[in-house]
Amino acid sequence: MEKLFGVPIDRLMLSLLVVFAVGVAVMAVVAWRNQVVFKMAVRNIPRRRAQTILIVLGLMLATLLFSASFATGDTLTHSMRVEAVKHFGLVDVIVQGETRDVGNRLPSFDQTYAGRVQEALAGDSQVAGVAPLLQERAPVLAPGTRLSEPWVDILGYAPQSMAGFDRLLDVTGKEMALDALAPGKAYLSAELTEELDVHRGDTVQVFLGPQPTPLEVIGVYVKGASPAGERSLVVSLPYLQTVTGAQGAVNAVIISNRGGTLEGVRHTNAVVSALGPLLEGSGLKAEPVKQKALDRADREGGTFATVFLLFAQFSIAAGILLIFLIFVMLAAERKRELGIARAVGMQRGHVVRMFAFEGATYSLIAAGVGSLLGVVVGWGMVRIMAAAFSQWDFHLTFAFNWRSVVIAYTLGMVLTFAVVLSSSWRVSRLNIVRAIRDIPEPSTSRKSLKGVIFLGLLVAGGALLTVWGVQEEQLGLYLLGASLIIIGLPMLARRFGLRDRIAYTVAGVGLVAWWMAPESWHDAAFPFLPEEMKAGIEMFFLSGIMLVIGGVWTVIYNADLLLNALVFVFGRLRGLPPVLRTAVAYPMQYRFRTGMTLAMVSLVMFTLIVMAFIIQSISGVFADVDRIAGGFDIRANTSYTNPVPDLRVALTGAGGLRPDDYTAIGGITAVPVKVKQMGIEGEPVDLMVSGVDTGYTDAVGYKFAMMAPGYTSPRQVWQALQDEPGTAIVPTWMVPTKTNFNVGDAGPALRLEGFWREDKVLPEELYLEVQDPRTGRTKRLRVIGAVEDMAFYVGSITTSQSTVHGLLERAVPPQSYMLRLTDGVDAETAAKALKAAFLENGLQAQVIATEVRRDTSASLMINNLLMGFMGLGLVVGIAALGVIAARSVVERRQQIGVLRALGFQKGMVQFSFLLESSFVALLGIGIGVGLGFGISPQVINSFKESFEAITYQVPWGVVLFISGVAYAASLLTTFLPARQAASVYPAEALRFTE
Amino acid sequence: MFKRGAVKTPAVLERTHEQEQLSGQLIIQAAGIHKTYETGKVTVQALRGVDLRIRRGEMVAIMGPSGCGKTTLLNVLSGLDDITQGEVIIEGAPLHKMSDKARTRFRAEKMGFVFQAFNLLPVLSAVENVELPLLVAAVNPGVARRRAQEALALVGLADQTAKRPAEMSGGQQQRVTIARALVNIPAIVWADEPTGNLDSETSASVMDLLGRLNNEQGQTFVIVTHDPAVAQRADRIVRMRDGLIESDAPNHVAK
Repeated sequence: MEKLFGVPIDRLMLSLLVVFAVGVAVMAVVAWRNQVVFKMAVRNIPRRRAQTILIVLGLMLATLLFSASFATGDTLTHSMRVEAVKHFGLVDVIVQGETRDVGNRLPSFDQTYAGRVQEALAGDSQVAGVAPLLQERAPVLAPGTRLSEPWVDILGYAPQSMAGFDRLLDVTGKEMALDALAPGKAYLSAELTEELDVHRGDTVQVFLGPQPTPLEVIGVYVKGASPAGERSLVVSLPYLQTVTGAQGAVNAVIISNRGGTLEGVRHTNAVVSALGPLLEGSGLKAEPVKQKALDRADREGGTFATVFLLFAQFSIAAGILLIFLIFVMLAAERKRELGIARAVGMQRGHVVRMFAFEGATYSLIAAGVGSLLGVVVGWGMVRIMAAAFSQWDFHLTFAFNWRSVVIAYTLGMVLTFAVVLSSSWRVSRLNIVRAIRDIPEPSTSRKSLKGVIFLGLLVAGGALLTVWGVQEEQLGLYLLGASLIIIGLPMLARRFGLRDRIAYTVAGVGLVAWWMAPESWHDAAFPFLPEEMKAGIEMFFLSGIMLVIGGVWTVIYNADLLLNALVFVFGRLRGLPPVLRTAVAYPMQYRFRTGMTLAMVSLVMFTLIVMAFIIQSISGVFADVDRIAGGFDIRANTSYTNPVPDLRVALTGAGGLRPDDYTAIGGITAVPVKVKQMGIEGEPVDLMVSGVDTGYTDAVGYKFAMMAPGYTSPRQVWQALQDEPGTAIVPTWMVPTKTNFNVGDAGPALRLEGFWREDKVLPEELYLEVQDPRTGRTKRLRVIGAVEDMAFYVGSITTSQSTVHGLLERAVPPQSYMLRLTDGVDAETAAKALKAAFLENGLQAQVIATEVRRDTSASLMINNLLMGFMGLGLVVGIAALGVIAARSVVERRQQIGVLRALGFQKGMVQFSFLLESSFVALLGIGIGVGLGFGISPQVINSFKESFEAITYQVPWGVVLFISGVAYAASLLTTFLPARQAASVYPAEALRFTE
Repeated sequence: MFKRGAVKTPAVLERTHEQEQLSGQLIIQAAGIHKTYETGKVTVQALRGVDLRIRRGEMVAIMGPSGCGKTTLLNVLSGLDDITQGEVIIEGAPLHKMSDKARTRFRAEKMGFVFQAFNLLPVLSAVENVELPLLVAAVNPGVARRRAQEALALVGLADQTAKRPAEMSGGQQQRVTIARALVNIPAIVWADEPTGNLDSETSASVMDLLGRLNNEQGQTFVIVTHDPAVAQRADRIVRMRDGLIESDAPNHVAK
């Protein structure tokens, strides 16, 4: 992982290390100057070992989440880097055609260029080797076994130029001589020989054209062929030139930098620059292939870590609340001794320092434990991800970067310490007498001028933010600004005598209503609002926090009503009233603790429930395979070296196939082009344009998210594609939306401008200019439709085949086909038969339903993993319950004694504690679930804006499961403290003073 | 460690018990009570063989210097604590042979407590504190509330029922504690330094109240106190020293 949130990881690490070092240095100096205070702080740590462990565990959670996110990012980066390196080996730069041919084939050029490149780089100490290369991708068949492989990388090496590149090594590690590659002889990769079940001495056939080329296998290599995939074979360059009819031509000049596989990459820019003058105007370019692959790996890895961090932010927020709670409770426990310390002359600043020293020590340990445990959690997540990725043939290897661990440590430490400092300040504001006598602190003066000014500023700031949000069309600012007003006004009224219950209820209900109100309500209530406002991924976090604040306030200030109802209902049950009375009274008395715990539990529950809704609703989309496939059953690709010119015709002649099994066959020709939107400034981008034939347009069932004016049905658009040359359709990812939830750096290759998806209708005049990069010929395409989101098999701009032919000024056969089967024909059998019939063409046939199911299950696995990761936050809420329960046992020891004296049995005390935790846990779960259910229609609707096929579905099973697990875990956590409370001996308890 | 049923009571004492039980006057009988605390490496002998008998309706003050074992005696007599050796019989029932569960139930039915630090539950209002023993005894919640209000009226706090302990003065809190101790009409009320946290005027009023209730309701009061003024209100004064009863004499100036 090289970047996080767009900041280079080295810079991030250095900045954090500087903050960390400065913090530690300041603490050390302060400790030196306050040795007594420091000594007191340090001696407090081992006083209660179990409590210290609990505090460290509580404090480490935020760091753990950072570390686990980074570990997954690092693993992905590492795995992609491994793949990149495996593919390119020592090849760093490839000189190749600026454009590609049909079928994405590299265009060939005169071999003399290789010599010129060698000359240009001669004497360059940064270059280890330069070699001409002809490479093709073609089907290979083993006649002996009748096994075939449709996509094999064929490399034509010039043996005399391969110094400085990877050596071909056999299974024993011995180098294989390239000079032995006589015409008709080839070395095969171990993977390919395994696939074809061939051995040394066997013959294979390569379909570089309609006629097979026989090759004798003279050796098997396990590594060293690059640039190539796992299935490859190596022949001599002159021989490959002969059999492909490209005498004296190559399609690549490979360059290896000095310094090895990874280290050599740093010379890439210099090498590419050195070749600039030579390649100027030649139609060739020096492509920094390995650098690009590594950059992509780093980007994707960073994106993954970012996604995990984004989803972990609720858990991190809950973790921060837990840190705060732990320290406030630690202070409550030490209240009396702090009071005494203040009485004998300790300043408030000393108290802050004492807690800060203690907190810093805890934070140092906790961040260390958290960052290392996070790596372990990351490892566990990678294990699950590896299973998901294996379905896409991508191997994940666990890895973590020490820089990530350092960042997680310092980030966790800095965050924890900041919270500790703020809670220390709160702790220091104690009244000496009240602290010594353990009397509750009175609430602050309601009419303090400072408070009134602060709230006045809050309301004014909220108003400004709202106006700014409206002007900038930023939904987040608008909603947040108004929220500050919703909070500020009742709090201001409270300062002038409004009762707490009313003030907090008005603010709480107001916040919930405000954030849950549908867009239509906002539009109706505030007609001056812009028609559409922009929103990003931050809205999820913002809305979650605001809703939870609103929900918790409303519940906590009205829970007594709920409790009275509970007591009324269950109060008749024998034995329950006294237990119920005490169980519900405590959480209500300690509103701060209860509120914090409720916030933690409900925050995490809220995110889990919303996530469950999203997963459920998205999963529903994949159930409609027919719609995803556009009505087709099989997708087939053929090799560009030996394509099937017309599959319909070929079917009739092919053995083992029945043309009647196929009701529709659509051909697709994809060509690389340069595209730009007309009338918009900017450079054209490299994209593929697909030309579809009438077989396709007549059968395809895809609908459209947007159509140009005048078109009233999808069929009309598809028909127009054939009838009106120069028309095209685009996929919806090219259409801009006002709610763009892009994560990471990668955006779409081409984003159209001048209209929004929310407009529903395409502009009358929407034109693309496509250019054949080989000839420079351009063509204007009118966009008449943006295909629906479900059209997964429409990857890029689609026009008619005749339009593509017109652009290229030649007919090009389709490289892929979409086939619809007659009812009752088994798709898997048909796909196998197709593959067998067109082995020489390297035809790959995929059953679309199988492909969709495979991809769905893999993404579901990743989604569930993401949810599991978010669920780690539940540990925070549950830990809070445990911390409170453990603390309550100590704090209420005397009261437990009284209860026992009054006749409470042991079981009743235990039950009372469990009931108390249950009450808080259930309220927290209830708030989270309720808010999740409340907001999810809106969330799903917002997804619908960019993915129309999504339907709202309630994940009942998941909701019950998550709620059940959360509740059971909270009971388990409080079981021990409850048992401890029950075993308190009454006489000892009555004597007890903390 | 105390083993239930392993202690043999002196025969002489048993005979006397029988005689006094027959007369129906004895409510508390303690014989040969020993209580030892193991605190790490040190063993503390808090009670070294205490014999004590208290008649029904009697108000007994237990006095003595700090650490003499007064509170320990009260705790073991009320069943809040185990004894190491000896026997405790309350209303004819052998408390020392009861299981924790039975003893807790017995306490709930027969005893009330008044503590020096009041020990009201801070999260409950006055009336909720007072009704708690009734709810424990499975009295109907409606009835419990009515009786709790009556008990508070009896101690002069009819208008303070909804207040929480933190909102009341020390004297008021102690009155709530007394109401709580009396609400289930216990046979015995144990009071550990009931005026320890109160000024002299409030102490006097609390003791007036206890005396009145003792007279009117005939309940037995066992009061541990340092305060001679409090002890002077009792029918009998038991003085302790070093875990033993030093003197046990009727108080002729009582009430």
